[in-house]
Amino acid sequence: MPGFDFSNHNRNAALHAQGVPLPKATSTGTTIVGCIYDGGVVIAADTRATSGPIVADKNCEKLHYISPHIWCAGAGTAADTEFTTALISSNLELHALSTGRKPRVVTVMTMLKQHLFRYQGHIGAYLVVAGCDPTGSHLFTVHAHGSTDKLPYVTMGSGSLAAMSVFETQWKSGMSRDEAVKLTSDAILAGIFNDLGSGSNVDVCVITQDKTTLMRNYITPNTREHKQRNYRFPRGTTAVLNQKIITRAEISKYVTVHEVEDVAAAAEKMDVDQ
Amino acid sequence: MGSVFAAAPLDNSLSYSFSQAPNAAASGIREHSFYPYTDNGGSTLGISGADFTILAGDTRSTSGYNINTRYAPKLFKIGGEGPEGTGARIVLSVVGFAADGDALKERLDTIVKMYKYQHGKPMSVAACAQRLSHILYNKRFFPYYVHAILGGLDEEGKGALYSYDPVGSYEREQCRAAGAAASLIMPFLDNQVNFKNQYIPGSGEGHALEQRVPAPLPQKVVEELVVDSFTSSTERHIEVGDGLQMMIITKEGVRETYTELKRD
Amino acid sequence: MSVVEVVRRGGRDIDCLDPGRGGGTSSQANAVPTQLVPELETLPTPPSLQTALKNRNPRSTPSNASSSYQLAKMFIARSEYDRGINTFSPEGRLFQVEYSLEAIKLGSTAIGVATSAGVILGVEKRVTSTLLETSSVEKIVEIDRHIGCAMSGLQADARSMIEHARVESQNHAFNYAERLRVESCTQAICDLALRFGEGAEGEESIMSRPFGVALLIAGFDEDGPSLYHAEPSGTFYRYDAKAIGSGSEGAQAELQNEFHKSLTLPEAEVLVLKTLKQVMEEKLDSKNVQLASVTKDIGFRIYGDEEMEGVVARLESN
Repeated sequence: MPGFDFSNHNRNAALHAQGVPLPKATSTGTTIVGCIYDGGVVIAADTRATSGPIVADKNCEKLHYISPHIWCAGAGTAADTEFTTALISSNLELHALSTGRKPRVVTVMTMLKQHLFRYQGHIGAYLVVAGCDPTGSHLFTVHAHGSTDKLPYVTMGSGSLAAMSVFETQWKSGMSRDEAVKLTSDAILAGIFNDLGSGSNVDVCVITQDKTTLMRNYITPNTREHKQRNYRFPRGTTAVLNQKIITRAEISKYVTVHEVEDVAAAAEKMDVDQ
Repeated sequence: MGSVFAAAPLDNSLSYSFSQAPNAAASGIREHSFYPYTDNGGSTLGISGADFTILAGDTRSTSGYNINTRYAPKLFKIGGEGPEGTGARIVLSVVGFAADGDALKERLDTIVKMYKYQHGKPMSVAACAQRLSHILYNKRFFPYYVHAILGGLDEEGKGALYSYDPVGSYEREQCRAAGAAASLIMPFLDNQVNFKNQYIPGSGEGHALEQRVPAPLPQKVVEELVVDSFTSSTERHIEVGDGLQMMIITKEGVRETYTELKRD
Repeated sequence: MSVVEVVRRGGRDIDCLDPGRGGGTSSQANAVPTQLVPELETLPTPPSLQTALKNRNPRSTPSNASSSYQLAKMFIARSEYDRGINTFSPEGRLFQVEYSLEAIKLGSTAIGVATSAGVILGVEKRVTSTLLETSSVEKIVEIDRHIGCAMSGLQADARSMIEHARVESQNHAFNYAERLRVESCTQAICDLALRFGEGAEGEESIMSRPFGVALLIAGFDEDGPSLYHAEPSGTFYRYDAKAIGSGSEGAQAELQNEFHKSLTLPEAEVLVLKTLKQVMEEKLDSKNVQLASVTKDIGFRIYGDEEMEGVVARLESN
């Protein structure tokens, strides 16, 4: 069955009412931006993922593939951005196959907003959609409740204000590719250094009519320092209270062990559509 | 979590429940309330040695996802003269609500100075520790929202370190981490300072294995541990960073150092 | 108001409060004023006042041979400034404070001697009646484990000073987890001594007059043993050896001769008793004197009956 499974909803609501806390979702605090320039569109993102005040992932990917010429930067609940973009990407592929046309950015935007609106904001995905299609270069934002904007430069996430301050002071119309990349990455850097929800590196994706260039870790201004001391423990530092050796013969009473001759060949076979 | 959560970023709880009463009364009257505390993040740490005590703290001050300033000291010399605190032999570190921390430091500083005038001798760390406890407990029902650590040298010249809860319960310890990244740093300190979970290799089998015996660490080692604690916390805690302020108390006096930390 | 009345009233007060002086017979009560007059005459007059008096009346200078008329004239001049405890006389004196010092001169003698090992306090108990239970005469008291004090003058006044000192000492231990220094304790007592007079904002004062008692405060702190003398005027000094009370002049002269830095504690005990013996009207025995010591290890301790007998026996054998 496709779609979400709500069978635990009533149970969870009752548990919550009794004081059981909700599981903590990983949120990508995030600064994401997008900017249209002459000949294409650029989107960029930081790479920090947080869980409360803790950095969950120092180098996560927030630029998601939708189609070869449409990419999406995501902020909000990590799982929601991940699954929503993957779902739309799949549906867009089917849509492109059935229409026999190149997918359009507006289509992606429309599919996203309809999906998110249906879930009334419970899917916490905040997205910047950008791409090139036969109608030109496009840039949109989609909010978790389903509202959308179409603008020449956009920012989202907790670092959106820091990033927007860069756009508002430095953006000009008719920029070159290099200028646009510099501006978007500067906007992300503003988020990285001034917003606690954002940090680590800058990822940039440049989309033109002919080519998409994903520049993963385009800028790495926050490389880890070397430790002052060595924290290798001598062997035997940890106490071993007891040890038990289970032989292959013993374990085979409970499980059947098969030797696989050629792993690569077997894996290849499974991918083939019969 | 995007712009919606920018106002209250650390709150992920659901907004509904079966038992929860609605915030607004049926008549539509709204109750307003003032919450007098804020959390300004950051972390502090103290380690005492045989003839020294080191206190350290990052210099970032935050509110929510914002940085108020990259240089707001959490370490204060107590009982010194002039703006530089010349001649001070006691250091207080405070983390939590910065305004309360400042108020607490001002009060303790005044008390220590008055003590010297009244009794004609500098206050001992033990006396200062007891006094600080009372200052905190005196505000038992409107506490100073801080986790304080007091450091100096005791009457015998040994490193002395006292840590407090916000209402004045205190204890003399070898080492203590406080603040946002306390839960990250403290287990590291347990392992590296008190050698917890470290056994002497080959000293026995199973339960007979001997625990590594903690001994006072040399000053250089402690300084390195402090720096590593903070660079690591900066990596994994969003409220820690910008700068590391250290105060090293020896019989020569208080030496202060500052090291840059990552600013993201 | 006559001069005699003023003096007699002062004398009666002291009779009531200090069982040491006079007792209650009418003949003695009447004797008080005449007894006091020569004592008051010897009151040290500051040079400034002497010159002031000289300038006012160059023909008649006060002398030891002066008549009671002369004395009365001096008193009349004073009486204008006698009433207000906060009013300076034109000569710059606070008479009520000076009178309070006089009250001490009526008290029983108390002596303190500081040695390198500790401090010895000694007082005479005036046993005015054979029916008096001598153990109820408490002139040496504990302030804290490490501080004790001997008093001379109005005993009741001393109670409130000692109460204040005890609270101060306990507060210090509570707040700082350490013992109060002897000097700080003395300072605290002297702060209280100055609380007569009006408050800062014109509010009512708690005390109507200065204290009429002097204290010898003995203690042991991180700087070793020390002895302080605190007066009702709020001033205090540290001494190696000090005598207060009615026999203080003679006793102080004796201490001046006998004290030396290498005194041992038992030697100090004997010195205190020997000095007391010389200035006491009654014959000294183990019942009419009281000794106490403050040492590093034991702190403050009042000598028991047997111990007193031992020291008195040593005194007699010397």
